[in-house]
Amino acid sequence: MGTYRKQIQIVGDILDAAEELTIDQEGASITKLIQKANISHSRISKILTNLVSQGLLEQVDSKRACKYKISMSGKEFLREFKTFSEFTNNFGLTI
Amino acid sequence: MEFLLENILNLIGFIIGIIIGAFAYVGYKNTGSPVLFRLTIAFFAIGIGFGIIWGGYMIDDLILQEGKIHRGLQALGLGTQTIGYFFIAFSHTIKSFFPKSRYFRSVGILPLFALSAMNIEHIIRSFSFILLVYGAIETFVSFLEGKQKGALAVGTGLALLAFGEFIAWYSLVFPESILYSISILLKISGLISLFLPISRLPLRKIKFDDLEDEEDEEFGK
Repeated sequence: MGTYRKQIQIVGDILDAAEELTIDQEGASITKLIQKANISHSRISKILTNLVSQGLLEQVDSKRACKYKISMSGKEFLREFKTFSEFTNNFGLTI
Repeated sequence: MEFLLENILNLIGFIIGIIIGAFAYVGYKNTGSPVLFRLTIAFFAIGIGFGIIWGGYMIDDLILQEGKIHRGLQALGLGTQTIGYFFIAFSHTIKSFFPKSRYFRSVGILPLFALSAMNIEHIIRSFSFILLVYGAIETFVSFLEGKQKGALAVGTGLALLAFGEFIAWYSLVFPESILYSISILLKISGLISLFLPISRLPLRKIKFDDLEDEEDEEFGK
């Protein structure tokens, strides 16, 4: 049986995907983020808007499509998220 | 000897409880995770519980000099620890542990007032034992699923604490025996085992100037 991800886990997955896909300040396209973070288009749009307004992601203007790259705050958040994720995993729990 | 071991155990428990609690709190502030919030309450309660008992022993050692801790203080410390163990177990969805009967809920608390402090101590220990066993089993199950070494260490720690609690309860049947000292040593080992995986994580101060409050609302649900 599959398990549902919590909102914070989805955010962590999107930031993780954005960090991996951000190459040479280009940013990652929504399609790539959807594939990597395994999330639907309708859901990711709202979350991306939130993450940009929170300063965790930066929107990069591109000729063809809108791209996103992880900000310094986003990287810091992601690092701490992973640390505390490991902390809760040690108790057999998910963050 | 027993007095010294008790002092060491409770001091270690107090320090480890507060450190893990503080770490969980920092995590809660940064991520808004309810799991981390429950762990914060759990470990602060465990730390404070050990701290109360340690304080009781220190008061006796420095002021009263009766050679034993005040029973009420011991029960308070153990009770506070049990709250901590409850929150660990609760994080593993222990909701069904609550009695659903309205009658039971209304009268369930009454017998506590009719019992002596010594009996309350027995009840608290048995509750702690059950909660610790539950937490240990769930953590071991998670280890079997994820094969994470940290979960094995925490599971072992909880199991040792549970076994120590059981031996401590059993030692009431055989007072003056070595059982109580064994239980203290088991609990010290359990606390160290609990702290091992946490000690590997970077314990540093984390600041999120712009995000804190909004983030708790947005992502902490």
